[in-house]
Amino acid sequence: MPALGTGKRIKAGEQKFALLLTSPALVVLLLTTTFPLAYLIWSSFHTINLAMPFMDGFAGLDNYIDMWGDQRFWHALQLTGIYTVSSVSMQIVIGLGLALLVMQIPRGQWIFRIVAILPIVLAPVVVGLFWRTLMLSPNFGLVDFLLQWLGFEQVNWLGAPTPALISVILIHTWQWTPFAFLVFLASLAALPLDVYEAAKIDKANALQRFWHITLPLLRPAIVIVVIMRAMISLSAFAAIFAATGGGPGTASEILNLYAFKTSFIELNFGYGSALAVSLLIITMAVSGVLFYLRTARRQEAAS
Amino acid sequence: MSVHQRAAMRRNVILMVVASVLLLLWVLPLIWALIVSFKSESEVLAYPPNIFFTPSGQNYSDALVGDFSIVPSLVTSTIVATMTTLLTILLAVPAAYAFARLKLPAKKTLGFYTLATQMVPPVGLVIPYFLILNKVGWLDTYHGMIIVYLTFSLPFAIWLLVSYMEDIPFEMEEAAFLDKASRLQTLWHIIIPQVRGGIAVTVIFVFLNAWNEFLFAVQLGGNTVRPVTVAMYNFVSVEQTLWAKLSAAALVAMLPVVIIGILGQKQIVKGLTVGAVKGGGRR
Amino acid sequence: MAKETDATRQTLSTSISRRQMLKTTLAGVATVSAPGLLIGQAHAAGQFMDLDSFRGAKIDWRMAEGETITIGVIPAGYFENLDKVLPDFETLTGINARLEMIPPGQIRQKAVLDLSSKTGTYASHAADPMYYELYVANGWIDPLDDYLGSDKLTDNNWFQYEDIQPGHRGATSVGGRPYGIPYDGEATIQIYRKDVYDAAGIEPAQTLAEYAANAAKIHNPEQRLWGCALRGFRGAGQNMYIYPSIFRAFGGEWFDGERVTVDTPEALAALEYYVSLLNNYAPAGVENWNWPDIADAFGQGTVGSYIDGHGTAAVVANPEKSKVVGKVGFARWPKGPSGKRVTSIWNWSFPINAALSEKQKQATWLFSQWAGSREVQIATSYAFPGAYKRTGPNRASMWADSQFTDMMDGFGYNFTQAATESFANDTDPDWRPRLPQWPAVGDTMATAIQAALVGQATPQAALQEAQQKIDKIVKG
Repeated sequence: MPALGTGKRIKAGEQKFALLLTSPALVVLLLTTTFPLAYLIWSSFHTINLAMPFMDGFAGLDNYIDMWGDQRFWHALQLTGIYTVSSVSMQIVIGLGLALLVMQIPRGQWIFRIVAILPIVLAPVVVGLFWRTLMLSPNFGLVDFLLQWLGFEQVNWLGAPTPALISVILIHTWQWTPFAFLVFLASLAALPLDVYEAAKIDKANALQRFWHITLPLLRPAIVIVVIMRAMISLSAFAAIFAATGGGPGTASEILNLYAFKTSFIELNFGYGSALAVSLLIITMAVSGVLFYLRTARRQEAAS
Repeated sequence: MSVHQRAAMRRNVILMVVASVLLLLWVLPLIWALIVSFKSESEVLAYPPNIFFTPSGQNYSDALVGDFSIVPSLVTSTIVATMTTLLTILLAVPAAYAFARLKLPAKKTLGFYTLATQMVPPVGLVIPYFLILNKVGWLDTYHGMIIVYLTFSLPFAIWLLVSYMEDIPFEMEEAAFLDKASRLQTLWHIIIPQVRGGIAVTVIFVFLNAWNEFLFAVQLGGNTVRPVTVAMYNFVSVEQTLWAKLSAAALVAMLPVVIIGILGQKQIVKGLTVGAVKGGGRR
Repeated sequence: MAKETDATRQTLSTSISRRQMLKTTLAGVATVSAPGLLIGQAHAAGQFMDLDSFRGAKIDWRMAEGETITIGVIPAGYFENLDKVLPDFETLTGINARLEMIPPGQIRQKAVLDLSSKTGTYASHAADPMYYELYVANGWIDPLDDYLGSDKLTDNNWFQYEDIQPGHRGATSVGGRPYGIPYDGEATIQIYRKDVYDAAGIEPAQTLAEYAANAAKIHNPEQRLWGCALRGFRGAGQNMYIYPSIFRAFGGEWFDGERVTVDTPEALAALEYYVSLLNNYAPAGVENWNWPDIADAFGQGTVGSYIDGHGTAAVVANPEKSKVVGKVGFARWPKGPSGKRVTSIWNWSFPINAALSEKQKQATWLFSQWAGSREVQIATSYAFPGAYKRTGPNRASMWADSQFTDMMDGFGYNFTQAATESFANDTDPDWRPRLPQWPAVGDTMATAIQAALVGQATPQAALQEAQQKIDKIVKG
């Protein structure tokens, strides 16, 4: 980080002081997360099955080897990928589109900002329940009614495999697009006007201006939103759990749900822990790549 | 009015209408929940959905003062979320300052650790937390719940605040050092005012996450600590789902966060701004 | 998540809400007079029950005085009633007992976490009968024959354990030893629209084939009336609560020696029946429906018939929630090709956590005994001074009690008879495979059934895959 290179400001004792500032937070984190994390990893190397306590013991890599041959795991992994990529990209595209639109409105943007926060605030458990019945249920839900009224065919949203996956993605997108929208709206408002004026003089059209000016300037905002949302998407739980429980069959069972079911319904804590550890590794890998991209960009821009 | 002005106005009106319609569609589920919350249970699932009915406040009075009042749980949630937020900010601001601005030993390792703790899937942590809290006798206590929430909010808050603090131009700090002000004063007088927006955003997200959390609330709480997300299940019993009452309770439970959001609007907008050309083009 | 018991809400057909009624009535009890208080012996009377009837038992109710115990239950009318009369328990025993309402989807995990880590947080909890094998295999709960057989702890002349319905006693026993005291339970029965059946000139089905034929006859989606519905949601307590009855009625056997068998020809025929019935005559979306969703749909008048716990009657007979009050009839499960009628039965019962101290165990036993006693069963059912009366009391003698059956008759045509006969004749101790691995086996089956229902796999492929998984689960 460039901030560190400026040695002249560093006085003696700065390190100590820095440690002093960070230590309360780090101590809390060390105390509260180290054991759980260690326990999680430890149990992923053990057989811990409450239904068969006599089998318990060290398992080495067995759980991970089982995972390799477990089709349901690969299926869940694939769903996690689809779920994360599609919900994050929809949040970006729709959020940005809405932000650009609302930016054009001369007055009353604050109303949009306040209303936009509402879906975010609703508890995810309730989001799942509402969508499940009041919105999507065929022959009863509002969405079903409106679509049929508009002349579309009835869709069995949560009762058929592919629509169910689409539904849980849409539900997540619905709840969290406002976040992207708010970030983009705030960031757009802070963009320097003079660049646009210059571009207008150059007779660039709206699309060109967006593509060559707005988008590059917004890149940091987009990257931040992608990082934050991807991390949340990867471990989404409550809304899917309430809406479909991972079903029908295993059609919307992302890895996080599979880990939960294995640990808490099948009571196979060892294997469930291994699934959770694999999810942790994936999350770290994904965010590692995203952070690397972000830092690389920053350095490029700073030099 | 010139032709130009008139065209601009027409354009504005159209934009307004389009944006409003889209926005309404987006919050339609919430509007519907609001309508449902004034219906009787037998009307909730009427089809085609009816919007003409005699509204009744019965669901709200049941949710607030009935046998299943969510008010005690609202108080619990307020205590838990507020304390979590306060402690998080108190611990995270100095830590983020050190990460962003000072020479910290083993910075990369510590930074990575902080970040990694945030990525552990909560599902994998329920059992260890249960065992620890049980060991120290903190199951179903406020301090136990708040500490657990801290483990999620702290890394998140530190990470968010670092990204804000990195954006402050060094020139400002330098000026302060020339004045021989102590570093703490620098933090207090120079840095914090600069990242007020960032702090506002952090506050609202930390509060929101603690407020809406369900998994740990249900597993680690009990009769003493029973946050509102758990209490809402009184309307989703094994016997039936009371949709209208659930809607009323859920909407009431949204209010505190919405109010915080409205109060902190200006700061939040500032905080949500990413990539603006402030601070001398450090990016 | 398995949450299977339905309950029972008897509602007075009045516009006053249940809660208001309850409050007014309770206020009356507290301030004016109540049967209990009229006796004139304030010290002998509880707030809801005459404590003398408990003191008739030859045990020392105050043996665990001063103990505090927490019992995990779920939000449900029958536990709310128990909570209401709980002060009487404290008056009687000097034990401070508190109920904690845990969301139904989480109670099993919370109980397992508590039991497995031996924290003793919950002295007892509303237990899923299918979890007893698991609890016992781990030694997490105490066998109750020691308690029942002890003169110091139990006066069986008074308690009369054998009066508890045999189906419920069997469901809470492992290897012939009792482990839990049943509190509330249900049998599953046909619930149908009597007006619709009468208009079509049909009778409730006697066989599963007739059930499908009846559904076909009244099926009319254009008029928003679907023939039938069964639980479609994935879960050991959802679709895997209904399918086992069909499986048994088709002659399926869960065990071949030690091996759990789920892919036999009978199993396949049962699953094919279930899938084709729902695909042909149930509303779209039923694949994701749990029993409250079915009851909601039936209450809106859109479903001709469903098969579910008898407690569901209270929801469809509740004018606050239902539009078909007075048009509902009931009947036993139809017979399958094997000639058997098999009802799915369910109960919530109270075990004793083995991690407790001796005194706490005594306190917990006193609580279970008290809650399962005839007095409390009556006090939380027809004698409850609120609008909601339980329909799932545990005792055979109560099901023969006219005060109880009179109340039950109010729910609809043939209700009492259908429920009583189901309990008496249609229960089957082997209707679900009982083994410690049930949670995993049940969920695997539930996933397979739902996958077959939505066409993610053919019934045959789904069952074969489930069989492979179950073999692995059971062997470890």
